[in-house]
Amino acid sequence: MTAIPAIREMPARGRNTYDPAVVRADFPILSRTVYNKPLRFLDNGASAQKPQSVLDALQNSYAREYANVHRGAHFLSGAATEAYEGVREKAAGLLNAPGPDTIVFTKNVTESINLVACSWAEAHLSAGDEIVITEMEHHANIVPWQLLRDRKGVVLRVAPVEDDGSFDLDRFAALLTERTKLVSVTHVSNVLGTVVPVAEVTRLAKTVGACVLIDGAQGIVHQPVDVQAIGCDFYAFTGHKLYGPTGVGILYGRSDRLEAMPPWQGGGDMIDSVSFEQTVYAEPPMRFEAGTPPFVQAIGLGAAIDYVQALGMEAIGAHEHALRAHAFDVLRDVPGVRLIGEAPDKAAIMSFVVDGLHSLDVGAILDRQGIAVRVGHHCAQPLMARMGIESTVRASMALYNTAEEIDALAAGIRHAQKLLG
Amino acid sequence: MDLSVYEDYAETLEALDDEMRFEYLLDIAKKKRGEPFPEEAMGDAHLMHGCMSRVWIIHDIADDRHYFRGHSDAAIVKGLVAMMTDSFSGLTTAELAQITLDHVRRLNLGALTTQRQVGMMAMLKHIQKLAGARPGIQAA
Ligand SMILES: Cc1ncc(COP(=O)(O)O)c(C=O)c1O
Repeated sequence: MTAIPAIREMPARGRNTYDPAVVRADFPILSRTVYNKPLRFLDNGASAQKPQSVLDALQNSYAREYANVHRGAHFLSGAATEAYEGVREKAAGLLNAPGPDTIVFTKNVTESINLVACSWAEAHLSAGDEIVITEMEHHANIVPWQLLRDRKGVVLRVAPVEDDGSFDLDRFAALLTERTKLVSVTHVSNVLGTVVPVAEVTRLAKTVGACVLIDGAQGIVHQPVDVQAIGCDFYAFTGHKLYGPTGVGILYGRSDRLEAMPPWQGGGDMIDSVSFEQTVYAEPPMRFEAGTPPFVQAIGLGAAIDYVQALGMEAIGAHEHALRAHAFDVLRDVPGVRLIGEAPDKAAIMSFVVDGLHSLDVGAILDRQGIAVRVGHHCAQPLMARMGIESTVRASMALYNTAEEIDALAAGIRHAQKLLG
Repeated sequence: MDLSVYEDYAETLEALDDEMRFEYLLDIAKKKRGEPFPEEAMGDAHLMHGCMSRVWIIHDIADDRHYFRGHSDAAIVKGLVAMMTDSFSGLTTAELAQITLDHVRRLNLGALTTQRQVGMMAMLKHIQKLAGARPGIQAA
């Protein structure tokens, strides 16, 4: 019989020096090689790697505490339910949300946004009402609104970005009218790294009484987030980019909003009582969680939240801020590299193109050197069109990346230029 | 059927290690710079859809044999396209219809990711379609 690993000690809270070497040791995958080269993982914007404590939580859940949640009259179901429900509190803590009942589990941020579109917006918007998004949205925050537009005749308005990738608050404000019912914006652009001033955006949206949804897929990972300070109605994020498992996402919703929303999927777990004549729906958040939820993944996400909280989001943000500054320096030094997105307030997400080289080639040559980046349109084709490009190479940093990896990236780009020159 | 160009490519690749295969592919792309692809063919009519980079393929027939030329804006893809078009040019419709996934696999080998393997398969289907040589949809 294999021994079940004990849940690993969390890194000490308040560790006063941030040592990437220590942090890296928590992530087993980072010690592997690819093509006999050390792995340099700079594709965290797509999905981040998992610390051992997350892997242990998944293992522990399946090996010791597995039974369906909310259902069984037995010990294991109780244990799994308690662990699962506990993650609502952790997520609420991470977001500084008022309580666990404001946290809905979904399968990813895409589903969180679709939930708002199919429940809240479906019930409260009508033909001619306006939704404001921005030019830098991920397709996940564009297509659900287009589907809604096709169903209900709502109007989609798009706030422009400036040439350097900055969010243009004035031009955004100019789009707001008394017909604006929803403002749905990304917190951090997954291509440009631009940090949208979401508190300011929310304040402006509230002057016309609009509801505000923030796509926090990239926002939650790089900095502390306080939904009450922002004042937004909804905040959505995805577990796998926050060092948690795939298959689980979060939707924070203000209580009054959630209470006024009809269910969007029907089934078990989302009801109080069912008869063929009438079904009474459960209160939020359960109303929006039909069927067996991804509770093991949610428990893994809980471990991920513990992990980043123990390191401290400020400390993570400061580390990444230093990486971004270093990346600016070394990438600007490589002739032929053009950075896409140089907004003053920017997370550690570096998109660039290399003169005369296709992104695909750059990505493939970097890959051969063990450097993992993403190339392509990054699910943001309207933004690519706005910037007048077809694709970029994107290096997106996480809490475990180092300045040395960024130097390797710059050297890798020079190597690509030599090979393809 | 004469697959000597194909055999040359396959044998060369088999003799190389992963790293060298990759550079070989880039070399093929560079050599093709000497045979510029006609500007006017780089339009939607010759575009092969569904690739991460753009791929154009033109098709000619001479003496009942099919000839292909291709181009891509990405060098690696250009190398792959060149291997495919060089390998399978000069075949009759019936011969072209006999080219299968297994042939393509030998041009593919370890250096290339699965994603590109899928791209190579799509390329084979595309040239077979251009030549009216898709197995199963061939005119009797
Ligand atoms: C800004 C943004 N929104 C939405 C998504 C979609 O995330 P998911 O696929 O986990 O739903 C991503 C990531 O791909 C993203 O970066």
